[in-house]
Amino acid sequence: MDHLEKLKGVWQDQDESTLKFTKSDIFGMIQKKSSSVVKWILIVSIIEFTLPNLIILFTDNSASKKLYDNYDLNGVMTIYTVIYVIIIIGFIYYFYKNYKNICVNSSVKGMLHSIIQTRKTVKYYINTNITLAAIIGLHVFYKVFNSPLFIEKLPENTNMIAVWAIAITIFTFVLFLFWGVYKIIYGFFLRKLNRNYKELLKNE
Amino acid sequence: MTKELENKFAAELERNQGIIHKVCRTYTNNDAAHKDLFQEITIQLWKAYPKFRGDSKFSTWMYRVSFNTAISLYRKSKRSIETTQIYDNLKELEYQDYDASKDNQLKLLYKAIHSLNDIEKALALLYLEDKSYKEIAITLGISEVNARVKMNRTKTKLKNILNP
Repeated sequence: MDHLEKLKGVWQDQDESTLKFTKSDIFGMIQKKSSSVVKWILIVSIIEFTLPNLIILFTDNSASKKLYDNYDLNGVMTIYTVIYVIIIIGFIYYFYKNYKNICVNSSVKGMLHSIIQTRKTVKYYINTNITLAAIIGLHVFYKVFNSPLFIEKLPENTNMIAVWAIAITIFTFVLFLFWGVYKIIYGFFLRKLNRNYKELLKNE
Repeated sequence: MTKELENKFAAELERNQGIIHKVCRTYTNNDAAHKDLFQEITIQLWKAYPKFRGDSKFSTWMYRVSFNTAISLYRKSKRSIETTQIYDNLKELEYQDYDASKDNQLKLLYKAIHSLNDIEKALALLYLEDKSYKEIAITLGISEVNARVKMNRTKTKLKNILNP
């Protein structure tokens, strides 16, 4: 019999009496709130879904309204808003569906998979948001930079390529910052889960 | 009805709590973290209890929920990280029938298990509990062949740690 086989006996005989809980301890425990990572994923995801919209809703948007009026952007912004709302509703639906699939009765692999999928919905949502923001941004730049109202404000002989370059650099930096912060939050929740999931899938 | 269910659950859990303690001691390294994880597993078991239909044994179901909690759901709380007291010191003082050789072997075994990754820890625990490959495969959600391959690697790793 090898050493590990012998240790099975020692393992199975181990005495846990020093940490034994009574029935009333157990009653106390089930009244407490869970602090599981899934709860935090839900809270953080709801914030990620709602915070950008709340900020837009409650901030003074007279400046952007003026911009849309001046550069004839109202029609196109309405179309983008409709697209954005459809995207949000779609993602919230998929998020909720994936979230409901998380079940502690699943196998270890099933559980890891469903949590990762749920979080991935938010990742796709953020990626879609960034892509949409980039498209809208470029569209707005195009409209503004080609408008006589804007051009006449510029000093004479201004190089438009330079204007575009500055605008795109600043805009890309802002989007990249947003994406970076999100990546940190995403990694914080999923690093351990992804590692364990990959480990389980090895040789499958 | 809820009271009746609570009673039934608490009684079953009290009887089978050894399983959770083993999982806790495998995945944590101090008393506060052990209690924290035990509590989280109990909460998860209680939440999932109405769905437990008895198709599997209560103990098999407990393993599944305990591993899922330890591997996927549990995050060390501030309290458990701050506590530096290590089990091994605590145990020595509190054992009533202190068996030096057995206790030492157990300590070394847990020390070796602590150096494994989360999945290997589950494999080691299921091996020491003498579970069949079929049950291990079902609990982890992998094929039986993969369970065998992973188990052999884990056993070799454990043996190397125990007898370098």
